[in-house]
Amino acid sequence: MLLFRSEEWVEKWCKRHNLERGEMLSLGQVWELSKLWYGNRMSLEYHGRSMEQVAEIFKQAGLTAKFWYG
Amino acid sequence: MTDESLIWQGRHFVYAHIAETTRPPRVDETAAHFGISAADATELYKELHNRHALFLDLDEMAIRMANPFSGIPTDFKVHANGKTYFANCAWDMLGIPAALHCDAVIDAVCTESNESVRLEVKNGQISAQGGLSQLLVHFPLPFTQWYDDLVFT
Repeated sequence: MLLFRSEEWVEKWCKRHNLERGEMLSLGQVWELSKLWYGNRMSLEYHGRSMEQVAEIFKQAGLTAKFWYG
Repeated sequence: MTDESLIWQGRHFVYAHIAETTRPPRVDETAAHFGISAADATELYKELHNRHALFLDLDEMAIRMANPFSGIPTDFKVHANGKTYFANCAWDMLGIPAALHCDAVIDAVCTESNESVRLEVKNGQISAQGGLSQLLVHFPLPFTQWYDDLVFT
């Protein structure tokens, strides 16, 4: 996952690498996702998560596009 | 390796070691910590790799990624708790303060323009020099494909 100054730079990068554009999130969205995804990562009790748990995190982060569940 | 308890204690040790030192433990350091042989510590690392709990450089038998932390220098530097960590990607640069539950200053680079970007996480809020409004993180692949090529992802 790469950082871009703006959508314009994402388009240039995709064109240069001949890749289709994926999903773009604002830094605020990524911060909210990070707290849900990584908040318990340092715990001894963290043993990974199931696809269902991943889907629930995306849902809680407000990521509703099919991209996240494909 | 079948000792589930040791496997997850091993994962926890790796993360605690990174938090403390900013770098993943070598095989010999993990072996010494648990009082096991280097061969057993290598098997422990491979088991965690196979479970996607960390990502090994199998040639070097070194931890390349323990997300959100990177075992090698990257363009995503996270200054937190008086230390500087490297994150694997633009998501993980925010994952480090999320994992450590701390404030952070993040120095990153726009992948295409090469412009420097400085972010700050303070009291649970994120801000950027020049404003957050147009900054974006691009996710090239859906989750189901992330582990096909983790370095590209």
